[in-house]
Amino acid sequence: MRQGAGPHLRRSLTVLAAVSIIYLLATLFVTNSYYQLIMTLVPVWALFGVSWNILSGYGGQLSFGHASFFGIGAYTVTLAMVYWGLTPWVGIPLGMLLAALAAVLIGIPTFRLRGHYFALSMLAYPLAILYVMQYLGFQEVSIPMHREHGLAYMEFAEPRIYTLIAVLLLIGGVVVSMVIENSRFGLALLAIRQNELAAEAAGINARRWKMLSLVVSGMLGAVVGGFYARVLLVVTPESVFGMLVSAQAVVVTLFGGVASVWGPVIGAAILVPLAETLQAELGTYLPGIQGVVYGIAIIAVMLLSPDGLFWTVRDRLLRRETPHGVSEVTGLMPDAGSGGQPLAAATRPASRGSGPLLQVERLSRSFGGLRAVSEVSFEITEGEILGIIGPNGAGKTTLFNVLNGVLAADQGSARLDGRPMLGKKTYGVCRMGVGRTFQVVRSFPRLPVLDNVIVGAYGAGMSDRDAIARAIRALEQVGLRGRAGVAAGQLTNKQLRLMELARALAGNPRLLLLDETLAGLGREECDEVLAVLAQLRAQGMTICIIEHTMHAMMRLADRFVVLDHGRVLATGLPRAVVEDASVIEAYLGKKWLTRR
Amino acid sequence: MDLGILVENVLNAVTAGVTIGCIYGLMCIGLGLIFGIMRIVNFAQGELLMLGMFTSFYLVSEGRILSFLGPYWGPFIGAMCAAPALFAGGALLHRFLISRVSGLRTVGSLDEGHFGQLIVTLGISLILQNGGQILFGSTPVAVRTPLSSQAFEVGPIYQGATVFLNKAKLVAFFVAVLAAVVLYLVLEYTRLGKALRAAADNPTAATYMGIDVDRAYRIAFGLGSGITAVAGGLMATYISFGPFVGFDYVIIMYSGVVLGGMGSIFGAFWGGVTVGFVQQFSALVLPPQLQNAAMFDVFLMIVLLRPQGLFGRSAERA
Amino acid sequence: MLEVRNLSVAYGGLRALSDVSLSVPEGRFVTLVGPNGAGKSTLFKTISGVVQPVAGAITFAGQDLLARRPSDRAHLGIAHVPEGRQVFKTLTVRENLEMGAYPKAGHAHWAQTLDRIHTLFPILADRAGQLAGTLSGGEQQMLAIGRGLACAPRLLMLDEPSMGLAPSVADTIFERVSQIHREDGVTILLVEQRVAEALERSDHGYVLETGHIVLQGRYETLLADDRVRRSYLGLTEA
Repeated sequence: MRQGAGPHLRRSLTVLAAVSIIYLLATLFVTNSYYQLIMTLVPVWALFGVSWNILSGYGGQLSFGHASFFGIGAYTVTLAMVYWGLTPWVGIPLGMLLAALAAVLIGIPTFRLRGHYFALSMLAYPLAILYVMQYLGFQEVSIPMHREHGLAYMEFAEPRIYTLIAVLLLIGGVVVSMVIENSRFGLALLAIRQNELAAEAAGINARRWKMLSLVVSGMLGAVVGGFYARVLLVVTPESVFGMLVSAQAVVVTLFGGVASVWGPVIGAAILVPLAETLQAELGTYLPGIQGVVYGIAIIAVMLLSPDGLFWTVRDRLLRRETPHGVSEVTGLMPDAGSGGQPLAAATRPASRGSGPLLQVERLSRSFGGLRAVSEVSFEITEGEILGIIGPNGAGKTTLFNVLNGVLAADQGSARLDGRPMLGKKTYGVCRMGVGRTFQVVRSFPRLPVLDNVIVGAYGAGMSDRDAIARAIRALEQVGLRGRAGVAAGQLTNKQLRLMELARALAGNPRLLLLDETLAGLGREECDEVLAVLAQLRAQGMTICIIEHTMHAMMRLADRFVVLDHGRVLATGLPRAVVEDASVIEAYLGKKWLTRR
Repeated sequence: MDLGILVENVLNAVTAGVTIGCIYGLMCIGLGLIFGIMRIVNFAQGELLMLGMFTSFYLVSEGRILSFLGPYWGPFIGAMCAAPALFAGGALLHRFLISRVSGLRTVGSLDEGHFGQLIVTLGISLILQNGGQILFGSTPVAVRTPLSSQAFEVGPIYQGATVFLNKAKLVAFFVAVLAAVVLYLVLEYTRLGKALRAAADNPTAATYMGIDVDRAYRIAFGLGSGITAVAGGLMATYISFGPFVGFDYVIIMYSGVVLGGMGSIFGAFWGGVTVGFVQQFSALVLPPQLQNAAMFDVFLMIVLLRPQGLFGRSAERA
Repeated sequence: MLEVRNLSVAYGGLRALSDVSLSVPEGRFVTLVGPNGAGKSTLFKTISGVVQPVAGAITFAGQDLLARRPSDRAHLGIAHVPEGRQVFKTLTVRENLEMGAYPKAGHAHWAQTLDRIHTLFPILADRAGQLAGTLSGGEQQMLAIGRGLACAPRLLMLDEPSMGLAPSVADTIFERVSQIHREDGVTILLVEQRVAEALERSDHGYVLETGHIVLQGRYETLLADDRVRRSYLGLTEA
C-alpha cells in the first residue's frame, strides 16, 4: 500500500457505501420496467468502464477492443447454461478464467505494438471473434428459463434484485480498482503510461505489469459480460462483441474521468440514462440516437476536458479551496515538515574492489551510416563526478542510452563493478544499480511528490515499508522533504529536477547518469542544485553528468570527458581540458586558434 | 478436383482480385493521404466511405438528380460526384475538430497527438454511423445498375475454364484507376500538390517557406475524404450497404496503408490491391463470414511482422 | 532592416532569451555566436513565428513582425535556413527549391533565380531529380541555402550551417555565403558556433550566452577579446 493509503481508502469506501445505499433505495421508487432495466445497466456499464480503466486508463494502453472479454463472458455463461446446464454462478467465474487465458494469448503478440497500432489491433480481436461466432451459427442464443430454481440459476422475477447484484459487482470492481490505484501496481501502471522508457529506467518491468493489467481488466470485463447476458436473456454476436460495446467502455470512462476510481461510475451515471432514455423516447424516429449521444459526449470531453469530468471538477474545487495549491493529501503525511530525525548516514554498500566503478571500453553505436558513438573509452572511479561535455550532436545522450540499455551497442563493453552492463534490458540495468534522469521531466502532476519518488524504490524491488523509508530519505538528500505531500504539479522547475533526482536515488543506485539536469535553470537555482550534487558526492555517490552549462560544470566536475562527433576528444581535469587545443577547436572552430 | 474448375476458380479470383483490388487501392489512397502522409489516425475513414456510398445513392437512385444520365452512366458519375461533397465534409471536419488534435499543435508531443485523434475520430465515427442510421435507415440499399448483373465472358480458355468479368466491377475498376492517376498527377506536378507533400514531410520547415500548414492539412484531409468517398460510390454499384458498412472496411484500409508503407500514397494503392487479392483468394477456401475474420488476421500479421510495409519510399520522416 | 528589441522568450518555465536586442541593417552581414544552449535557434524561431515571445518587439522593414502569422512572414522576404537543414526528405532536390519559391516573390524571375542557385551550387543541378533525404550532409546544407535563396529574399537567416559537417565542407559553405552577400547584396543574419569562421566574414557580431547578449562589436574587436573563449568554455564568473 502506498503511504497514506489507509485513511484515503476508508474515506472512499464510506462514500462508495453511501452512494450504493442511496442508489438501491432509489430503485424502490422506480416502477417502470424499462427504467428498472436502466438502473441495472448503469452499474453494469460502470463496471465495464472500471475494467477498461485498469488497462487503458491507469496503464495508458488505449484499447478499442474490450468487447473481446465482454463477449467471452457473455457467451461462456450462455453456452454453459444451454449445453451443460451450468448456472451463471459457475458460468461467470468460468468466463473469468477463459478471459484470463484470452488476455494472455492476446497480450503476447499485441503488446509488442504501441499507440495507435495497439488500439487498432485490439479492435481486430472482438470483431474476428464476432465473425467466427456468426460462422459457427451462434446468431442468436437464448438463456433457458429455470423459474423453479431461480436463485440457483440467478433468475429472479423481481428486477430490483438484478440491480442489487449489479451494484454489488460494481462495488467489488471499484474496490479492486481502489486497491490497485493505491498499490505499487497502480503506480507502476501510471509510470508506464506517463513514459514507458523512464519507467523502465526506474526499474519497472513494463511488460509484466502491462500483461497483468490486461488479465485483471479482462477478467472483470468477462464478469460484466456474463451478468449482462443473464439480464438480457438473449445474446447475439453484435450485442456483445460489437463496436458499440467497446465504445461504451471508452466513452463512459473518458467522459467521467480516466485513471480514476470514480470516473467510469460518473460517466455511466450520466451517459447511460441519457442515452437509454433518448433511445426509448425517440428511438422510433431517431434510431441510433444512443450512438450519436456517445459520439458527441466523447468529442466534447476530448476538446473541453481531456482528462474527464472528474478531474476537471476536482481541479477546479481544489484551486478554489486552497489558493496556495497545497493538495489535500498533505494531511496524510506523517510528520511532514516537522523536525524529523537527523540525516541518517548514507547506507552505501561497501566498495567491492579496487577497480573503477564504471569501465567503458571502445563503445560504438551507429545509425545507418552515422557513427553516433565511436570507440568511446573511459572510466569512473567510485565517488567522483565525471562531466561529459561536447558540442551539440556529439553523441552524449546516445552514449547514455547505450549504457542504460535503451539502445544496443554495436561494439565494445561496459562494466559496472566488473559486471557486464550491455545486453540487459533497461530495468535490468537499473536493478544493477544505475539510476538515470532524462532531459524532460515527466511527473504525475496530481500525485504527491512522495508518490512520484517512490516509483524509483518500487523499481528496485523493495518492500512497501522499505520503499517509503527510502523515498523519504531520497527527498531528504535533495532537500525536498518538506514538499513530500505537495502535488507535483505545484513544483517549480528546479524542484522538479530535484524530484527527478530523488526518484533515481530511491532506487539505491551505485551510479547516477544525469542528463542535462541544469538546463534552463537560473543562476541561483543552478547553484542550489549544484550544492545538492556536491553533497551527494560527499555521501559517496558516483555521478556521471551530461551538461552544457559550462560554468557550472567547471565548479562541480572532478574530471571531464569531451566528446565530438561521437569520439572522445580529451579526458582529464577541467582546467586542463578547456585549454586543450582540440577541445577549443571543437567548440569555437579551427580558425580561433590561428586567428592572430 | 477437376483441373478445369480449379483453373477457372483461380482465374476468376485473379480477375476479381485485380478489379476489386484497385477499388480497394483507391479507398486506401484516401487513408494513405491522411494516415500515411499526415500521420493522423482517422478512425472514421470507414464512415467517409459509407457517406460516399450514400451520396451516390441519393444522387442517382433515390433523389433522381442524376437519373437523366441513365442507369449505365449515372452510378459512376454519381460516385465521382461524391468526391466534392466529401471533400467539403472532410475539410469541415478537419477545420473544427481534427485540427485541434493534430498538425503543428501536436508536433513533438510524446505520441504525436494520436490519442486525441483516435478518440475524436471514434466520436465522429459513432456520430456518422448512428446518425446515418437515423437519416438513411438500416435497410440495406444499393445503387442499381443493370451492369452489376452482366458480365463479359472470356473463354473457354483452358480445360473448359471460363473467366467472367462483371461489367459493373469492370467499369468501377477503370474509374478507380483513373481517379488514382488524376490524384497522382495533382500531387506530383501541381504547386498545391507539392505544397501538401512538403507540409506533411516537415510542417515546421514548410511554415518557414510561407506555406500555411493548417490550410494544407485541411485540403489534404478533404482530398483523402473525397477519394475514399469515390471508392465508396464505386463499391455501391456492386454491393448492398447500410450505415454500418464502413466498419468492415476500416481494417482493410489500415491493412492496405500499412502494407504499402507509411508515407507512400502509391504504396497504399498497391497495398490495397494486395489486400483485395488476399480477400478474393480467401474466398476460394473460406466461407463468407470467415473471410472477414481472415482480413483481421492479415492486419495483425502485417502490423506485427512487417510494419514498415512492402512498397513505399525509403526516405522516412524521422 | 531587422530590429529586435528587448525580446524575451520562455519555454514552460525555462528562460530561453532575456531582453535581447540586436539590429541587422540593410545590406549588412551580421553574425550571432554563442555556446550550446545559448538560445540562438530560439531567436530564429521567434522571428519566423514558430515560437511566441513573452515580451519585446521585432520589426522588419518597419513592419511589426509579431503581428503577422508565421506562414505570412516568408512572404515579406525573410528566408530561414533552419538548424539541421530540415530539407523535405521525401521531395526531390528540384521540388525543394520550388518550395523555397512558394512566396509570390519567388515566381517573378524564377528562371534567373534558379540559374543563380545552380551557379552557386552546381551539385543541385546535377542531382535535381534525387530525393533530398538521400543527399549527404553538405549537399543538404547547400540545398537548404538554395531553398532559402529561391524566393529572392531581402533577408537570409542561416542557423548553424556548419553543424555536423566536416570542416572542409563547412568552409565551402561559408565561402558561398560570403559570395551571396558580396555579389547579390543580400542582407545576412548568420548564427554559428564556429566563432572565427563566422565573424571574419561579417560586418558586426553579437555573442549570446544563456539568453543574454554579452558582447557585441566589429569582428576585429571580438576576435581579439578572450572573453569570447571564456564564455564558450564556461570560464566566466558573471
